Amino acid sequence: MITTSATSKSLVTLNNIKKVFFTDDVETHALNEINLSINKGEYLSITGPSGCGKSTLLSLLGLLDTSTAGTYQLAGHEASDLSRDERAKIRNKEIGFIFQAFNLISDLSVAENVELPLTYRSDITKSQRAEMVKDALEKVDMQHRANHFPSQLSGGQQQRVAVARAIAGNPSIILADEPTGNLDSKNAQVVMSLLDRLHDQGATICMVTHDPRSAARAGRTIEVFDGKIVSDQLTEKSQAVVL
Amino acid sequence: MSVSLDIKYAARLLAKKPAFTALTVLIVAIGLGLTLYTYSLLNSLVFTPLTLNNDKPIYAVEAQYDYTHLSRRPADPFDLYKLKNELNLLEDLGVYQEGTTFVGGAGANTAIRKFNSTYVSWNIFEFAGVQPILGRGFSPEDHFEGAEPSVVLSYEVFQNYFRGDESVVGTMVPLDAEPNRIIGVMPEGFAFPAIAEIWQPLPQVSVAATERSYNGVFGFARLADGVTLSQLRTEMDAYSTELSTRLDEDMNWRINTDGKYLSAEPFKKAAITQYYSMFMAMFVVVFLILLLACINVGNLLLARVNQRFKEIAIRVAMGVPRKRLILQMLWESIFICSIGGLLALLLAAWGLEISNQVFDQTYAVDNLKPFWWHVQIEANGIFLLISAVVAMIFITGYIPAWRALSGDFNAVLRDGTRGAIGKKAAQASKVLVISEIFLSCVVLMMASILLSTSYSAGIADYGVETENRLTAQLQLPPVSFGIRRDTEFEHADRLKRSAFYYALKDELESQPNIQAVAMMTELPGRGEGTSYYEIEGREAPVYNENPYSNNEGVAKDSWRALGMRIIQGRDFDHRDIGEGVLSIIINESIAKEFFPDGDAIGQRVRRANPGNKGEWNTIMGVVSDTFHGSTMRSSSTSYNSYHIMDNWGLFRVNMAMHYTGLQVEAEKTLLQAVDKVNTDVGVYHIQSYDNLIKQPMMLVVAVSKVFLLCGIIAAFLAASGIYAVASNSISQRTQEIGVRRALGSSDAGIMRLFMLQASQQLAIGLTIGIGLSIWLVNFMSETMIINDLSYVLGMLGVPLLIIFMVLLATFIPTKKVVLMEPSEALHHD
Ligand SMILES: Nc1ncnc2c1ncn2[C@@H]1O[C@H](COP(=O)(O)OP(=O)(O)OP(=O)(O)O)[C@@H](O)[C@H]1O
Ligand SMILES: [Mg+2]
Repeated sequence: MITTSATSKSLVTLNNIKKVFFTDDVETHALNEINLSINKGEYLSITGPSGCGKSTLLSLLGLLDTSTAGTYQLAGHEASDLSRDERAKIRNKEIGFIFQAFNLISDLSVAENVELPLTYRSDITKSQRAEMVKDALEKVDMQHRANHFPSQLSGGQQQRVAVARAIAGNPSIILADEPTGNLDSKNAQVVMSLLDRLHDQGATICMVTHDPRSAARAGRTIEVFDGKIVSDQLTEKSQAVVL
Repeated sequence: MSVSLDIKYAARLLAKKPAFTALTVLIVAIGLGLTLYTYSLLNSLVFTPLTLNNDKPIYAVEAQYDYTHLSRRPADPFDLYKLKNELNLLEDLGVYQEGTTFVGGAGANTAIRKFNSTYVSWNIFEFAGVQPILGRGFSPEDHFEGAEPSVVLSYEVFQNYFRGDESVVGTMVPLDAEPNRIIGVMPEGFAFPAIAEIWQPLPQVSVAATERSYNGVFGFARLADGVTLSQLRTEMDAYSTELSTRLDEDMNWRINTDGKYLSAEPFKKAAITQYYSMFMAMFVVVFLILLLACINVGNLLLARVNQRFKEIAIRVAMGVPRKRLILQMLWESIFICSIGGLLALLLAAWGLEISNQVFDQTYAVDNLKPFWWHVQIEANGIFLLISAVVAMIFITGYIPAWRALSGDFNAVLRDGTRGAIGKKAAQASKVLVISEIFLSCVVLMMASILLSTSYSAGIADYGVETENRLTAQLQLPPVSFGIRRDTEFEHADRLKRSAFYYALKDELESQPNIQAVAMMTELPGRGEGTSYYEIEGREAPVYNENPYSNNEGVAKDSWRALGMRIIQGRDFDHRDIGEGVLSIIINESIAKEFFPDGDAIGQRVRRANPGNKGEWNTIMGVVSDTFHGSTMRSSSTSYNSYHIMDNWGLFRVNMAMHYTGLQVEAEKTLLQAVDKVNTDVGVYHIQSYDNLIKQPMMLVVAVSKVFLLCGIIAAFLAASGIYAVASNSISQRTQEIGVRRALGSSDAGIMRLFMLQASQQLAIGLTIGIGLSIWLVNFMSETMIINDLSYVLGMLGVPLLIIFMVLLATFIPTKKVVLMEPSEALHHD
C-alpha cells in the first residue's frame, strides 16, 4: 500500500499515525494524524516546543514503540505486521540510534559497546565484526579509546562512541534524539560535523533538536506542534545541494 | 539540629512506606531474635562455665565419652585421685555416681517414692561452697565401712516428701529398704552435681582407692593454679598412654580403641556431649540466618537508594558532605535495626520461656533436669544483642551508602536519568546475589538435614504397639518380700516376688477391659545398656569384638501385650524357671546377623564383659525387634536379648497393659487389682505408652521444632531474599535492556543472556554453599547419626530448590522488562 506522497526513493512512510498514552485515567494525545515520508539520503531535523511529541515520533520511527493508529512502512515492511523479533531484527539492521543520554552500557568497553549491535547478527563473522568496529571508531576518531569504559570518557567522547555504535552496522537510517542536548557547544559542534560527514557519505538521518543552528544543517526541517506536523520545508542548504 | 532534621527525614521516609518498614523490621527482629535465643540457650547450657561460689570453673573428669553407645563413662577412682594427689594437676576433686533410690516404706509410715540419689565423696558440699541449712554435711568417716548409713536431703525432698518437718533430721529413714540416718538438708535449688535429690556417701573404696578396680566414678574438679585445661588433657593423654603399656588384660578395657582413657571437659558441656555438635550446628545455622537477614535488609535498603538516587545526587550537588550523607543513610538503618532489636528481645524472651516449659515437661516425671538448665537472657546476651544491632546497622547501612557514594552523580544530573550503574556497582550486585545463594544453600541444607534427622528420630518406630497401652512401675516393699541385701539371693524369696507379679497379671487379665499384661525390667523405648556376648564356639579373641546386646528380664507371656511376637522357637515357660536354669531369647536382628542360617535355637551364648564372664545361656526363641533407648543412639540398641525375670526376683518391674475402653478406666482397674493382690505394693509413673516413649525423645523433638522454625525462617528469608536481590539487580539494568533491545537484540536473546548470568552466579554460589555444607555435616556426623534420607534430601533437594528459585527470580523480572516497549525501558528510572 503505497501512498501518494511516497516516491520510489521513499524509505519511511507514516500515514495518519496517532499515539495516545494512557496513564491513570489521563489520555495524552502525543501524536495526532502524522503523515510523513522520508527518502533515502535525506537529512531531516524535527523541531518543536517541549512536550510536542518529537521523541515519541522518533520512537515510533525507530520501532521502539507502537502507534495507536495509522500505518507505518519502513524499508518496505509494514510495522504493524511485524512480530517482536522481526522488529528487533529491523532495528538492528536498518536503524542506528543516537540518544541524548548516550546510553552506553557501563560494564562493556568502548569497543564492546560498538560491537554490541553487530553481535546480534548471525551473518557477520567475528573478524568482520572487529573490522567494522575499527572502521566505526575511526570515523568518530575514538579508536585510541577502544579499551576504555564509558565512565572514563567525557560526555562528548561518549556521544562519539554512541555515534560509532549507531553507524557500525551500516543502517539505512540514523535516528538521533537531541544528540547534542547533553554536550557543550564545542562537543556539539564535533558531533554535528560527524553527522554532516555521514550524510555526505549517503546516510539517511533523522534528528530531533532544539537548537536552530543544528536544525539549519539539515536539508529538511519539520516542525511539530501539539502532536501535529505544522511545517515541513527544505532549507537553503538542501536547496544549495540540490542546485 | 541538622541531626534532628536527618532523624525526622529518615522517620518520614520509613513512615511513608509502612509495609517496607514492617518487612525490614520483621526480618531484623527474626534474625536477631533467633540469634539471641540460641546464644542464651547455649550460654546457660554450655558456654557459661559452672563455678559455684568460686572463680574457677568446674571440670568433669571421667573416662572418654563413649560415642558408640552415646554415653558417659566413669573412670577408676584410683586414676582420678592420682591426678590430684600425685600429679598435682587438680586443686580440688570430688567423685560421684548417679542412681535412684526408693525412699520410705519398709514399716516407716511414709509412702515409697523413687528419688534421684547421687553417691558422692564427702567433700561435695565444701567443693560447691554450699552448706546444709539444717544438720550437717558429710565427713570422711561417713565413707568408712561399718559407719552408720547417712543421707542428706535436698530442700525439695525435705519440703515435698517430709513436709518441711525439721524434726526428721537425725531420724532414720528406709533407703532401698535399709535404714539410713538423715543428717542434713541442703538449701533450695541445690542439686549439684546435676540432678541430685538426695546424697549418700560412696563406699570407702571409691574415694580412697588403694588399687586399680572395676569401680567407676565420675569426677568434678577445679584445676590447680597455673594448670590449663589443655595442659591437663595433655597430661591425661600421656598418663593413658603410659598406663596402656602396663595394664593387665582384664583392665585394659578402660583404654578405648584410640588409646585414650581420661577426659576433662567443662562441666556443663560434659552433660550434653551427645547433643553438643547438634547445638553447635544450630548455632552455625542461626548465625548464617542472621547474615542472611543482614543481606536481605541491606538489599531492601539498597533498592530504596536506587529509587532515590537522583535525590541523593541533588543533595551531593548542593554540597552535602560525605559524612553527613552516610549518616543520613545510616539513620534509616538505625531506626530499623533498633526497633528490630527490641522486638528480638521480646521474641527471644518468649522463646526461652517456652524452652523452660519444655525442659520442665520433658523431665517432669523423673526430675532429670540438670539444675543449671534454666535458660534466660543474661547480661552478656544483651551485650551480644547490642553488638549485633550495631554490626547490623553498619552492614545494612553500608551497602546502600556505598552505592550512593560510588554512583556517578554528574551523569545523573546531566542526563536527568538515574544514570548507568557503574561497573563496580554492577559487580557488587553480583556479589550480593552470590552471597544470597550461598547463604541460603548452607542454611537450608543444614536446617533440612537437622530437621529431618531429629524428626525421624522423634517419630522412630520402636517395634511395639503403643496404642491403648498403659504403663506403670511396680515397687515391692522389702519387708514382706525379703530384705534385699540379706536374702535377695534366696530362691524362695525370689519366687515370692515373681509370684506377686504373676498374680497381678492374672488378676488384671481376668478383667473385661484388660487384654494382656507385660512385665519387663525396662520396656522397649526405655532403658539401654549393652553387654558383650560371646557365641559358643565362635568366641572372639578380644571381648569387644563379640556381638553386644541390651538385656532385659521379662515375665512369661509378655509379648502379645506389646504387640511383639515369637518368630522362632518358643516363649519362656516353667521349664526355664529354677536355680541354674539359663535360657535366653534373642531378637530377630541378632538372629539374622549372627545366625543367618536360621539355626539360632539351641545355640549357647554368655556375657563376655572384661574380667566378668557369665554362664552359658541356651537360646530358646527369637522374638520380633524392638528398640530400647533413644533411636538417636547407635544401632546397638536394636540388638536385644531377654531372660526370664522369675529367676532374678526383682523388687522393681515395669509393666504395660493392653486395655480396651478409656485410659482412666484402665488406670482404675490397675490400682484396684494391685490393691487386691497386695496392698503394700507401690504403683508409680502410671502413664500411656506413648508418653513413656516420647520422654527420652522430648528434647530432640523440642530441638527439631526449633530447627523447623529455623527452616521456615530460612526458607522465607532465602526465597524473599533471592527474589529481592535478583529483581533488584535486574531492575537496575532496565535501561541496559532497553538499549540492547533498541540495538536489535531479540527477546529470547535477552532472556538467554540474563538466565545465563544467573546460572553463573548460581554455579559459584552453590559450589561454595555445598562445599561448606558438606564440611559442616561431616563435622556433625562425628557425633550424630544423620539418616541417609535427610542427607539426600538436603544435598539434592536444597540445591534444586535454590536453582528453581533463582531462575524464577531472574525470569519474572527480566520478562517484565522485556515486555515493556523499549522506549519505556530506556526512560525507566
Ligand atoms: N510513556 C509515556 N507515558 C505517558 N505520557 C507520555 C509518555 N511518553 C511521553 N508522554 C507524553 O507525550 C507527550 C510527548 O512527549 P515527547 O517525549 O514526545 O515530547 P518531546 O517533544 O520529546 O519533548 P522534549 O522536547 O521536552 O523532549 C508529552 O506530553 C509527554 O508527557
Ligand atoms: Mg524529547
